[in-house]
Amino acid sequence: MGQKLILKLELGPLVVSFDLITVAMSLVVSFILILIALWLRRAVPRDPEAPVSRRLAFLTGAFDFFHEQLLGGFSPELAKRLFPVITTLFLYVLFSNWISIVPKAESPTQNLNVTMGLALMVYVLSHYYAIRTKGARVHFRSYLEPYPFLLPMNMIGDFGRTLSHGFRLFGNIFGGAILTTIVLSLTAKVIAAMPFVAPFGFAFGVGLGTFLNAWFGVFIGAIQALVFALLASVYIRLMAT
Amino acid sequence: MNISGEHLVEAIKYLAAGIAMGLGAIGPAIGEGLAAAHALDGMARQPEMEGALLRTMIIGQAITESTGIYSLVVAIILLFVV
Repeated sequence: MGQKLILKLELGPLVVSFDLITVAMSLVVSFILILIALWLRRAVPRDPEAPVSRRLAFLTGAFDFFHEQLLGGFSPELAKRLFPVITTLFLYVLFSNWISIVPKAESPTQNLNVTMGLALMVYVLSHYYAIRTKGARVHFRSYLEPYPFLLPMNMIGDFGRTLSHGFRLFGNIFGGAILTTIVLSLTAKVIAAMPFVAPFGFAFGVGLGTFLNAWFGVFIGAIQALVFALLASVYIRLMAT
Repeated sequence: MNISGEHLVEAIKYLAAGIAMGLGAIGPAIGEGLAAAHALDGMARQPEMEGALLRTMIIGQAITESTGIYSLVVAIILLFVV
């Protein structure tokens, strides 16, 4: 954290800037996901009568889990259409959070632009599925309910929901990253100030770093990825039914 | 010893970030604890409902958490942007 690599592009009057580290890390995450997908894909046999291998059993179990946990209350045909979207969202956020346990690596999700982009994508998708299942007329009429003068309230509700959807993931991951950095650097200072504990200082620092990364990277990362995907599916379901 | 306005702003910034985070964490903590307690009650009474209860509990806690996240964002802005 701290130094950033920013690429600024000037397109006429407006300046677009890219955080190159975030772009690179999110490409790395996508690459890892593609590799895992190809590796698991090879486990699916051509012959349906073939004995089930371990990888195939894992794949089926994972799909069942996602279907049950993320798309619990959906109607079957909507669940079938939404399954790839929500599962991809979950896996991308999960691996983005998990990649921060690699030293020096930054998760893409600790950048507000990434999480807000994902939240906006979910918002646009919820309108898309709502129009597709209910029709545009019925969908936009639902903003005038229960009374037409409550239209601003409904719009503010939409806005706040999307805002908090993006901020929740960002706040959790960024807060965890800050806490890990601060606690580790403070511990290093405390240990350096006390010469008699210095021989155990390194081992203690490694243990503390492992624990903090396991808690904030692996545990909180998995919970937040599940929450993000669950909320995305709930928002889409609320709009579409 | 003379204290200029910049020093004052610097000092109050850290104080404000600490107060924002500390007070802002109370409400979501109580709320999430209540949600977990009642979900546990339900699970103890009906263990077969565990999966559905857990999912709903996590959604509820995530939404309860947003006020805490807002105060975290305010604290981060105070620390790094102001």
